[in-house]
Amino acid sequence: MPECNQTPTAHPDRMSNFGRGLRLGLPVFLGYMPIGMAFGILATTIGFSATQAVICSATAFAGAGQFIALNLMKAQTDIMAVVAAVTVVNLRHVLFAATLSPYLKGMSIGRQALLGFTLTDETFAVNVSDRRRGTSSGASMAGVGVIAWTGWVTGTAAGGFAASWLGDPSRWGVDFAMPAMFIALLVALAENRSHVAVAAMAAALAIGLPALETFGITVPTSWLIVIASMTAATVGAVIRQ
Amino acid sequence: MTDEYIWILIVLMAAANFAVRFPPIAILSRLELPEPLTRWLGLIPAAVMGALVAGEVFRPGGEYLLTLHNPYLLAAIPTAVVYHRTQSLLGAMLAGMLLFVGISALLG
Repeated sequence: MPECNQTPTAHPDRMSNFGRGLRLGLPVFLGYMPIGMAFGILATTIGFSATQAVICSATAFAGAGQFIALNLMKAQTDIMAVVAAVTVVNLRHVLFAATLSPYLKGMSIGRQALLGFTLTDETFAVNVSDRRRGTSSGASMAGVGVIAWTGWVTGTAAGGFAASWLGDPSRWGVDFAMPAMFIALLVALAENRSHVAVAAMAAALAIGLPALETFGITVPTSWLIVIASMTAATVGAVIRQ
Repeated sequence: MTDEYIWILIVLMAAANFAVRFPPIAILSRLELPEPLTRWLGLIPAAVMGALVAGEVFRPGGEYLLTLHNPYLLAAIPTAVVYHRTQSLLGAMLAGMLLFVGISALLG
């Protein structure tokens, strides 16, 4: 991408792209705050100290994966089983990373590490839709990642340190913050008919696969998103060929 | 749950999450991906979002909620409309949360 080959004189440009990324990521920041808060509250109620909850959010930055970890810990699950479940749930990030990789050619390994570290469902979707408008750059992606991470960590700190004072976050509609973001990002990313068809197929699989349990076929919940989306994308790619 | 268990878990979770995010970027951005693969990857964003939305709306908390009295479903539709009209992620999110609180209260 051109931004990475620019001479040092292009730095003001890079700064303004970073700033644009911060603005693009602001909704993600605001969405992550309450969800991070919920994580902070939940983590401290099952035995994390507030500091541990914040460090966990800051280093793992794993969203749903962190909630799954808490649930399994509550059930006294073996530590490796907890880590395995979190890894499988976040396997979709491998797909995100692969999707983004052609945009990141020529970027230094350090910057790729930063972008990789801040890769989430939301930062990925924001960056991809920005990329399709032709405005995305390495600096703007870094801006999106930094602001999203800040929201997640700040939220966790607020939840962890002020749990008793905040009360039950669900009364502010926090339960719908994540679904609402996913819905908007789905609308943003489903640009043409094949995207809509593939999204619908993945949705049907995500709803239908757990029902196979009736027939004695158990699809582990942690694999659900990866299996549904890879199957739908494969069928879509074959049909469109 | 011991303090040690929590610290080990924190370290392992950080390592596992970085492992699924960074190495694929580092490796694949240095390769020329064949056309069928890039076409497949082009469908991944919509597919993942579709699967995530369906799970959140029809199986909130991992339990089926396949009725019309589902506040997630009732709030999801106007949220999508708000985003489509405004192209504002923030606007759609706030509208969605507000609608969800209102609809949940109405449904009791």
